[in-house]
Amino acid sequence: MRPTDKLLVAGLLLFNFSCNESYLEIEPFGSVSETTLANERGVDLLLIGAYSLLDGGGTVGGNYLGGIGYLRGGDEVTVGTESGQSPYNVFTYTEADANIEDKWKNLYSSVGRSNDVLRMLPKVTDASPEKLLQVEAEARFLRGVYYLYLAKFFRNVPWIDESITYAAKNYYISNTSDIYPRIEADFQFAADNLTETKSQVGRANKWAAKSFLAKTYMFQNKFSEAKELLDDIIANGKTSNGLKYELLDKYNDNFVARSKNGSEAVFTVQMSVNDGTTNGNGNYMDRYNGTYGGPATCCYGWGQPTFDLVDAFQTDASTGLPLIDTYQLTPIPHDNGIESSQPFTPYQGTLDPRLDWNVGRRGIPYRDWGVHPGKAWVRNQFNSGPYNVIKNIVEQARKDTDMGTDGASNNPYSMIRFADVLLWAAEAEIEVGSLAKAEEYVNRVRLRAANPDGWVKTYVDPSNPLAGFTDTPAANYKISPYSGHFLANGKAFARKAVYFERRLELALEHHRFFDMVRYTGRDFDILEKMNWLMGREGDEILNQSNNWKSGEFVRNKHEYFPIPLGQIDLSRADGVSVLEQNPGY
Amino acid sequence: MKTKSQSIEKFSKSDVFLVRKIFTVTLFLSLLSGIGYSQNLVPVKGNVRSGDDGSSLPGVTVVVKGSNTGSVTDFDGNYAIQVPADGTLIFSFIGYGTKEVHVNSSSVIDLELFADAALLDEFVVTGYSSQQRKNITGSVAVVDTDNLKRVPAGSAQEALQGMASGVNVIKSGVPGAGGKITIRGMTSFGNTDPLVIVDGIEQNLNNISAQEIESIQVLKDAGSASIYGVRGANGVILVTTKKGKSGTPSISYDATYGMIHPLPGNPFNLLNSEEYMDVYNQAFPNNDRFMNGMPDFMYRGPSGAGVAFAGDPAVDPSNYFYASPNRGQNYLIQEVNKEGTDWFHALFKKAPSTEHNLSVSGGTDKSKYLFSLGYMHQEGTLIETYVKRYSARVNTEFQLGNHIKIGENLNIIYRQNPGFGENSDFGGIVEAIKMQPIVPLKDIMGNWGGTFGGPGLGDGNNPIAVQSRNRKNDVLNEWHIIGNAYAEVEFLENFTARTSIGYNISNFYNQDFNTTQVENVQGNNSENSLSINSSYDSRMTFTNILSYMNVFGNHSIEVLAGSEAIEYTGRGLNASRQRYFSEDFNFLILGNGTDAIANSSSINGSNLFSLFGRLDYIYDEKYLLGATLRRDGSSVFGPEQRYGVFPSISLGWRVSEESFMQNMIWLSDLKLKGSYGVLGSQNNISAVNAFSLYGSGMTSTYYDITGSSNSIVQGFATNRIGNLATGWEENVVSNVGFDVSVLNALEVSVEYYKKRINGLLFTEPLPAVVIGGASAPSVNIGDIQNTGIDASLTYRGKIDNDFNYSIGANIANYKNEVVNIPDPGYFFSGSHQALGSMVRNEEGHPVSSFYGYNVIGLFNSQAEVDAAPTQTGAAPGRFKYQDLDGDGEITPDDRTHLGDPNPDFTYGINLNLTYKNFDLSAFLYGSQGNDIFNLTKTYTHFMAYYPTTNLSKDLLNAWTPENQNTHIPIVEAQGSFSSTMAPNSFYVEDGSFLKFRSLMLGYTVSASVLERIRLSRLRIFAQAENLFTLTKYSGLDPEIIGGSTSALGLDRGSYPNNEMGLIFGLSASF
Repeated sequence: MRPTDKLLVAGLLLFNFSCNESYLEIEPFGSVSETTLANERGVDLLLIGAYSLLDGGGTVGGNYLGGIGYLRGGDEVTVGTESGQSPYNVFTYTEADANIEDKWKNLYSSVGRSNDVLRMLPKVTDASPEKLLQVEAEARFLRGVYYLYLAKFFRNVPWIDESITYAAKNYYISNTSDIYPRIEADFQFAADNLTETKSQVGRANKWAAKSFLAKTYMFQNKFSEAKELLDDIIANGKTSNGLKYELLDKYNDNFVARSKNGSEAVFTVQMSVNDGTTNGNGNYMDRYNGTYGGPATCCYGWGQPTFDLVDAFQTDASTGLPLIDTYQLTPIPHDNGIESSQPFTPYQGTLDPRLDWNVGRRGIPYRDWGVHPGKAWVRNQFNSGPYNVIKNIVEQARKDTDMGTDGASNNPYSMIRFADVLLWAAEAEIEVGSLAKAEEYVNRVRLRAANPDGWVKTYVDPSNPLAGFTDTPAANYKISPYSGHFLANGKAFARKAVYFERRLELALEHHRFFDMVRYTGRDFDILEKMNWLMGREGDEILNQSNNWKSGEFVRNKHEYFPIPLGQIDLSRADGVSVLEQNPGY
Repeated sequence: MKTKSQSIEKFSKSDVFLVRKIFTVTLFLSLLSGIGYSQNLVPVKGNVRSGDDGSSLPGVTVVVKGSNTGSVTDFDGNYAIQVPADGTLIFSFIGYGTKEVHVNSSSVIDLELFADAALLDEFVVTGYSSQQRKNITGSVAVVDTDNLKRVPAGSAQEALQGMASGVNVIKSGVPGAGGKITIRGMTSFGNTDPLVIVDGIEQNLNNISAQEIESIQVLKDAGSASIYGVRGANGVILVTTKKGKSGTPSISYDATYGMIHPLPGNPFNLLNSEEYMDVYNQAFPNNDRFMNGMPDFMYRGPSGAGVAFAGDPAVDPSNYFYASPNRGQNYLIQEVNKEGTDWFHALFKKAPSTEHNLSVSGGTDKSKYLFSLGYMHQEGTLIETYVKRYSARVNTEFQLGNHIKIGENLNIIYRQNPGFGENSDFGGIVEAIKMQPIVPLKDIMGNWGGTFGGPGLGDGNNPIAVQSRNRKNDVLNEWHIIGNAYAEVEFLENFTARTSIGYNISNFYNQDFNTTQVENVQGNNSENSLSINSSYDSRMTFTNILSYMNVFGNHSIEVLAGSEAIEYTGRGLNASRQRYFSEDFNFLILGNGTDAIANSSSINGSNLFSLFGRLDYIYDEKYLLGATLRRDGSSVFGPEQRYGVFPSISLGWRVSEESFMQNMIWLSDLKLKGSYGVLGSQNNISAVNAFSLYGSGMTSTYYDITGSSNSIVQGFATNRIGNLATGWEENVVSNVGFDVSVLNALEVSVEYYKKRINGLLFTEPLPAVVIGGASAPSVNIGDIQNTGIDASLTYRGKIDNDFNYSIGANIANYKNEVVNIPDPGYFFSGSHQALGSMVRNEEGHPVSSFYGYNVIGLFNSQAEVDAAPTQTGAAPGRFKYQDLDGDGEITPDDRTHLGDPNPDFTYGINLNLTYKNFDLSAFLYGSQGNDIFNLTKTYTHFMAYYPTTNLSKDLLNAWTPENQNTHIPIVEAQGSFSSTMAPNSFYVEDGSFLKFRSLMLGYTVSASVLERIRLSRLRIFAQAENLFTLTKYSGLDPEIIGGSTSALGLDRGSYPNNEMGLIFGLSASF
């Protein structure tokens, strides 16, 4: 062996068996660890992360059914496609339903984001206590919001707070203790500590927290507590941008981006599109809704209003009041089964003007997109009826800024708007206060709707809808306030009047089903309503074997979703699940 | 100083030959017992030498044909024998080809015998080393590369199907897709791909042509694969490419040209227009398309969609208006196709394929080289699918002085393969089902027909339109540079040191343009969009090995120690934009898009450092011992679990070498072997598994906190929960078997194995309350066990000098069982919009079992419904489910395991015949006992899930009150738990098949002719591919690549790979 060979071999051997330990330590790319965020700026970044799930997308289960969206429209809306009504409309879903599990995952992911903030707070040393208190209060506010959804959808859910972690292995928490006191505590803390105004309009303020606390009371029928709080909110409340709570002059201004965050916006989800993402921060829950085949088309033509909802907007031709007990007897003629090329005359009777800001129907201007031609813009009349939604649809004049590339819009969604607050107050007054006061609140809402400036008008030039509107109302609108009816007709009437007013004012805003659950037992029965609806809709749909006909609402079961089977299975500690299934499943 | 192979050769020549001689003499003597001589004998003598190196061959058996007369050559290769005057002598010697010589009154016959390839003395490459076949104690399948090259395939990966026992390859029909290899069954719920090492470097077998390959070995057990430690759990495929050989330069050229034909007939068994109308009307009476019978035209315009008869003003061509995107203004009119559009055959056309390989090789005793170029272009029968591959290879080796050898292997590949998304519920092949037969291919103005121009046509995409647009707009180009440089030094007589540094570098460039689908009711208003992705991956492997080998007395010993460092890095860039003014290909750069500007990047990295050693010891040519040990350190595990140790031991006993066996002359070789050891895997774990991390994403964590409506503010959220305790996945493998060689003609190998995967790396199934939207860590929970038998058999025979044949068969059998997975002992997989999950991976059952309700018939009457257990949605004509728990009610507890996508066994059969200059070969491949969950039935057999698709002709025999003798449920619009809304056994079919993959006839031009045209070899051939497939499966092709490992055998519209083809080829050398 030559010396060179020996050298070479020695060199090889040397490398062979010595390797620096650091060779096997690779720091992760593109993410950060806890230490990077344990400061004032970092904890606020986590807080933004918690806010960002208000739009329903951006985490697990963020599809349209799984997001913050409605899943069930109560008696308002059906997911309309060729396949017909969804299992959530007709209560044929199972305990193993993947979308229901997605809903659960989405909401607990949102809760988790809030807990991320609260868990980080004690590690932050460079911020003032005042600043940290605001962060804590906002985070607890958001956690309350997400838990309130969990309570509405599932009722019996485990309380997971910032002390629960993977590392501590303490995450097997049962769902048998009442969640509402916890939600109240979060909102109470937020209401006590949040400032009245905020430098950024999207942040929760003191009054938003009080309003959510009031909502939490309403869901527990705690009317006395609610009334006291609501009185305060109505008298003193203001938005986080400092506007005193008041109804906007025009009903529709609540639902378009150009006039959002006004005095009526108690707490509004800040939707954004054309922001560098493809729809990433737009309105997730309504993104697939709207027309199909028409110029405003983005998506799948889902979310079609029911016949019953449209009928409910009839008003008495002489009094301008809703036909609370009789509207079902006079269904509005519609264009179901009529080709767009065939003649059709829209209903000529008197209507609540809010109808045409909610429901796209034949013969009436559909925002500034043109006169709705009926069947041509509807995905599948045969199975899902003739109507489209409007609230989530952007205005054509602003489509470049307001419509995302895949169809989501930045139209605001107010989780609570002031009309909602007033109608809760009316409800509370009926239960523990004065019927006259209740009527006064309802009338505030009705009088705003009665403002002719806020009605849908005909086009100057129907062939060029962007040319503007005339002063002529698009239909025969008539709406008037009550005048002593509440006192005259008593508590039962007053209750029904408030429920009905909520249905009309807040139509398609994803409150109806949960309200129906809440009302039941107070001159209202969700079972009766839902089963009547399924019969009514099922008969009206042209497809005679439509899914409505296989639906049935079961009392003490279908008020809430089942605890997802998959999650029950995953929550087994020592072989026994800590999650109990909801009644009836 | 000797090279390893020289010393082995010396060992075999001096000792083994002597032993052999004794054997053959014994054999001869035993033959002699009781022999009678015939008359007219003449004496013949001569000398037998090796044709390979000219050395004399002792121990060659010389027998008179047709008699028991025989002799044996002496130590110098001389023999003498008495032979009838017109007799024939047969010369045979173990390991060498047999020769027959007619005596013809000659008194001296000298001749040369040539060594047989692929026999026991052959060296085969094993882990970091090479071994003689006869001495291998682990489970190593040696692939017959001649057979490999006889199968029409775009890559060595596809060609491997059915070629080695225990190796299962599921091919895909998509050009360039390669397929999926599993060795000895499903060993994980995640990645089950074996490690493929080509010339020492990890590489993708799908990028290599079978023509470039010299040898392939598959390491299947721990004894052979444990030396690959953490990378060896799924088995190891070792590939050696062709190298130069000493001698004058040799140029060879191989070429093929073929034509593949789409499946004939009506492969999805779909309805024509009239039948469709009838069936549709049953479910939807008075629907808007057919209420007045079959219309002539369909249209959609701003004021609606409808059908019309000729002359109707609604379909006057003057109404026609076409713009892209639509914005609700288009007025499209299409003529109803009353015969019915054959969407399948509009989508699948016959397609050519061609492959060329040119190589130059040669060398001297100091240097060897091989240079080759390859070109492959394969069109898919599905229009506008293709793969093109250009490759170059340079392998060289130089001897510097007597002790140092340096060399390199370099392979450069350029590949164009836009790919195709098969087996998807939306898009792809199912669109050929979803398009109704009444829709024409083109509308009245020659634009694409589709679902826009008419009412109730569904939301399918005209797949021909989609594919036609892709051709120029979709690009997936890949560059791969793979190679290593090595040096080998021999020193101190018995030592060799080797160092090798290699890289596998890949660059991908992917461009995808989505044109606005004007003809599609759902996409007509979407903006066109361009997305471009580009990535760079690099894997460096630095290997150093020191080996020692020696032979003293009866002992032969080889020891090897080594280290290996593997560094992986990856970088990626993604960008997209929308709204392009022009759809001209040359206009499509990102900068021209005006909207939805998005971009992102990614980085990955991991390191592995390993030490390993092996010991091979042979005593007296009979007793074999192998032991390996590897210690791996990996950056993907936390400090607590960073290192893993993987030992193995294997033993062999060459029974045939024992003295008591020496009278069994027919037995050329018999070896018993067994091994036990541990393999590892880190495939199914993220490189950052140990870390708890926070991440940020514009869609996922940003929020418009300022209320601007068009801008967002950054946020963060937990995106990963880490686990420091996670460690290696361990495969404990035991293997026993035997190899037999009979009369040097029949070789049989049988092995039984048990492979137990402990501490399976499994994404921890955590409840949503703790994991939220973050990624859960992988943890070691879950065990799988595979047991099985691999067997192979080869018989080589000849009828006379002109007629040789061989038969090879191999079989891979395994039984797969999930032994242990986390609470609740199962998890669901494989979801579908209408059915939910139809796969349950559960303890005590095979991986990926189908799960649901067992259909025991159809309800024939309301009375039957009333009498049966309570079942949601039960009605006449719907499925009757089995009430397994007998509680009088069909509940989730009545679900059961409905089938198993894992085959009981797969098998390959090779037949080769040569007669004079002709050769004929055939290859069959089969799979037995695998079930398929046919999800395309949700479209073709039911109208509730997707009521707008075309339907199966089976529905013509659907249940009606009058037609009760059927298993096809009632035609109805409504969905139900009792029909299409639940996973049930109606969808499960037997997917067993036998495919006649290849029949090839070749002709080799005789040497006399070749001399005139200055060629040394010329062979031409014709080949028929996929002559038939025997199966009961109702879909296109029962060979389904499926989804993930935890959800196999789901047919959502798989690209068939049983299409018939005809291929011509030639191979020439000069």
